[in-house]
Amino acid sequence: MQRVPAPGCSGRCCTGVNMAEHSGAYMGGARQDGATRCHDPYLRCALYGAAQTALGIRGCCVLSHSPQGCHQLVDAAFGWQNADYTETQTLCTKLCEDEIVHGGEELLVRTIVEARELDVPIMFVLTACGPEIVGDDIVAVCEEMRPQVDFQLVPIPCAGFRGDQNHGIDLALEALLRYVASTDGPSTGDARTGGSASVCLIAPHANANPTWMADLAWVEEILARMGARVTAVLSHDTPLEALWRVPSADACIVLSHDAGQSAADLLAEQYGVEQWCRDLPLPVGFTHTRNWLLELGRRLGAEAQAEAMIAQGEAMVVQTCRRKGLQQSAMHRAPAAVVADATVGIPIVRFMAEDMEMIPRLVCLRSGQAGTAGMLQDELDELGLDARVIHGADVYQSKMALAEVGPEMVVGSQIEQHAVAELDIPYVFRLVNPTSRYRMIDRAYWGYVGMLNLIEFIQNDWRDRYRSKHRRYKARW
Amino acid sequence: MPDPTSLSSKDRIAFHGTLQQLLGKVESGEMVPKLQASHAPPCKFWTAFQVINGIRHMAPVIHGPKGCTYSVASNYKMGSCEYRGVPLEPTSCTAQNEADVVYGGEGKLLEAVREADQRYHPDLIVILSCCCSGIIGDDVETIAEIAEQEVGTKVLAIRSEGFGGDFRSGYEDAFRALMGLMEPRGEVRKGTINIIGARQGPTYTEWTEDLDELVRLVRAIGIEINGVLCGGCTLEQIRRAPSAELNASWCYDWGQKLGDLMEERFGVPYARTGQPYGPAATEEWVMGVAEPLGLEGRARELIDEETAAVADELDVLRRCFQDKTALIEISEFPGPIRALSLARMAEEFGAHPIVINLHPYTVKERMPSIKFLLDEGQNPEVILTEGLFSLGSFNVSSSTQREVEMIAAQYDDAIYVGSPLRQPGVPQMNMTTITGYPQYGYAGIRNMARLVTSSLQHAARPRSRLFRQVLYGGEHG
Repeated sequence: MQRVPAPGCSGRCCTGVNMAEHSGAYMGGARQDGATRCHDPYLRCALYGAAQTALGIRGCCVLSHSPQGCHQLVDAAFGWQNADYTETQTLCTKLCEDEIVHGGEELLVRTIVEARELDVPIMFVLTACGPEIVGDDIVAVCEEMRPQVDFQLVPIPCAGFRGDQNHGIDLALEALLRYVASTDGPSTGDARTGGSASVCLIAPHANANPTWMADLAWVEEILARMGARVTAVLSHDTPLEALWRVPSADACIVLSHDAGQSAADLLAEQYGVEQWCRDLPLPVGFTHTRNWLLELGRRLGAEAQAEAMIAQGEAMVVQTCRRKGLQQSAMHRAPAAVVADATVGIPIVRFMAEDMEMIPRLVCLRSGQAGTAGMLQDELDELGLDARVIHGADVYQSKMALAEVGPEMVVGSQIEQHAVAELDIPYVFRLVNPTSRYRMIDRAYWGYVGMLNLIEFIQNDWRDRYRSKHRRYKARW
Repeated sequence: MPDPTSLSSKDRIAFHGTLQQLLGKVESGEMVPKLQASHAPPCKFWTAFQVINGIRHMAPVIHGPKGCTYSVASNYKMGSCEYRGVPLEPTSCTAQNEADVVYGGEGKLLEAVREADQRYHPDLIVILSCCCSGIIGDDVETIAEIAEQEVGTKVLAIRSEGFGGDFRSGYEDAFRALMGLMEPRGEVRKGTINIIGARQGPTYTEWTEDLDELVRLVRAIGIEINGVLCGGCTLEQIRRAPSAELNASWCYDWGQKLGDLMEERFGVPYARTGQPYGPAATEEWVMGVAEPLGLEGRARELIDEETAAVADELDVLRRCFQDKTALIEISEFPGPIRALSLARMAEEFGAHPIVINLHPYTVKERMPSIKFLLDEGQNPEVILTEGLFSLGSFNVSSSTQREVEMIAAQYDDAIYVGSPLRQPGVPQMNMTTITGYPQYGYAGIRNMARLVTSSLQHAARPRSRLFRQVLYGGEHG
């Protein structure tokens, strides 16, 4: 397999990734065909991403037409969406050999009928690898069953072999939009009427911040302060009726660099919904937050509010750091690495370099949708950084790159915490999923409070590193 | 035993009888051994992975998409390695995509095995098939043979496609596959045993602390342990396992398959004993190991010493359980076989045990172990409630709480043994706190005396409003 740098990438890019992956429109999906054959992935499959998206609809039921093991992915997605078990239901057809040999449509019908006893407004039927390979037609089954049930039925073919979890998010978003286009929803009014601009937010959950809901909340808050209305979120705790307001939104914003672009493209093509902030890195750190706010201010005719928010926010960060203390000794010019998804990984590079005075020497992105390779390269060029870049990194590639580059600090996850245990790398800041740090309160990375959260997490991990594991003598009391 | 018809809400009781009678109803088909659609245990692939994950320096090559791979890595590896203090080892796969499903992935698998060998330098490579590779018929066994010739590392294949069997078959097939790694029984290593039937460690019912107690006891009578299969064992320990003098299991249920197979193929005797809960079962377990090795004398001394050392705790347990009705509820925890072991222990201390909610599905899945326990004379009273069969995990949990409260109210001397997810208004032993482990052996007796004392001391304390509303929903507020 030929390894060639992709357009827009430095010559140090592309370790372990072939041209097909870079030139393809989607790096994480089925079109990916890495040069390596042995993968230790950071991501789950399409079924998981689709389940995440479906479970973002409030009070829904997700039925996985799959063997029972795949239900565990749905359970994980349930947790990622902070779903409430008293109102959201998950079911599984638990396919066995019989259904793989003879087909599982009959079992699917029986399970949908059984679900009538649950009080749910909508059921998403998701398919795993097995039923798709043997040709179960969930679209036809849902069509046939619609008159027999008092909930809506939305089929989402999303077998794991179709791609990774980000591809699954895209598949589910497209399925949702197709469903909205083909059915009459409850009358909720036209989102474009009412004076203020209406905005649809896409793929907030394709974000490795373990409490990404706070990033979403920050966006909702700043839009409200600039006079815009969020007409729908695709998806998080989204009321069912909000789905039918999506086509009439004035604009959409994709809140991820990993998924959601195809849904935004679909909205633009079919309904003329304009996409805002498309080429801007997400709002991490002073510069990106400023750029984001200015762009939204310009779009919403709220330039003055945006300027005021920037001035207040920056002052708040500075003053807080003055009062609480800002640790500099470790960070200053420290060689650093980022191992993350594109949503956190790309914007955080500038935060590390510009705001925290680190020197990013390695960026391992475990995922990223079309355009993100170029976006990252632009960032590195602007910052004058000659960092090594790996797109579509797996655990092995990241560990090897960390060993070779030898940074002092790593922004990563619990996996990197383990991976560097035998390397001479002192600090791992566990900012991205998976992390064992429990957070009851959602913490944003975006915006000004987000900056303070990042600084706080970094300082806590820094302090933990230098807490001695030895007791040299015992106290006398 | 009260007449079940005396229960005020007898319509909530789905079964009331003995374990033997329940088994009869399951065998005759009168009670359908099937979990509802909202309840899905792991599939065969997950459980096969659990077993092989307990082998050191083993590189799995999962012939499937990324979703299956990351899911087991996340669920079984991250937590496990932190709990057990072992390094994070790889979980690699072929990342099957649509093209592999259409054209087959055997070539890719072979390349992946080669890469895994070069990357990880493992002692053992295990190929696990998933639904995709199973359905399209990729011949994982042949690839394993070819790869082994090439790479010079032992390569094992396990057919573990998720639809191919229930969770139990994954454990059993993985243990069976391990037999292929074992060398013929050579010169018997006197005074050496294997502990078998373990999986990677902190699974729902398997705790390192219990294994540690077993290890402490056998070492105290001068027995060496060749290895704990598969709870952190090495390939070398598996190879020479047939030359151990005896197999003993940490749990009869999980050990019996491998024990039977090794006895049949290699002639290794197997100590068939239940879980060592309470003094009698612990004595049986210790003597079950000591007698075949001719160490009865030392074992008797140990039992006498250990029993004397926990004399106070035994008094506490007798005093607390005497003439009580012990309600052992298992749909959430402690699991069916532990529940039966606890029932025996409660009876030993003078209580009348009632096992609540032993699902017919569990009876089917654990048929050999349940028959063994019946043969050993354990035939406790069993009650199944209607809530156990509800659709929806929250419905099951909230209904069961009400039903357990109702059952507990029928007795004026009940003590509840199980998970604090319930609070039926009677003294309750929390069997889920990690500070209560081990539960096995003499150390377990100490812990259980402490737990039962606490349960009686604090019996009158109400469930907090917070927990009640979180666990059972608004109606319980």
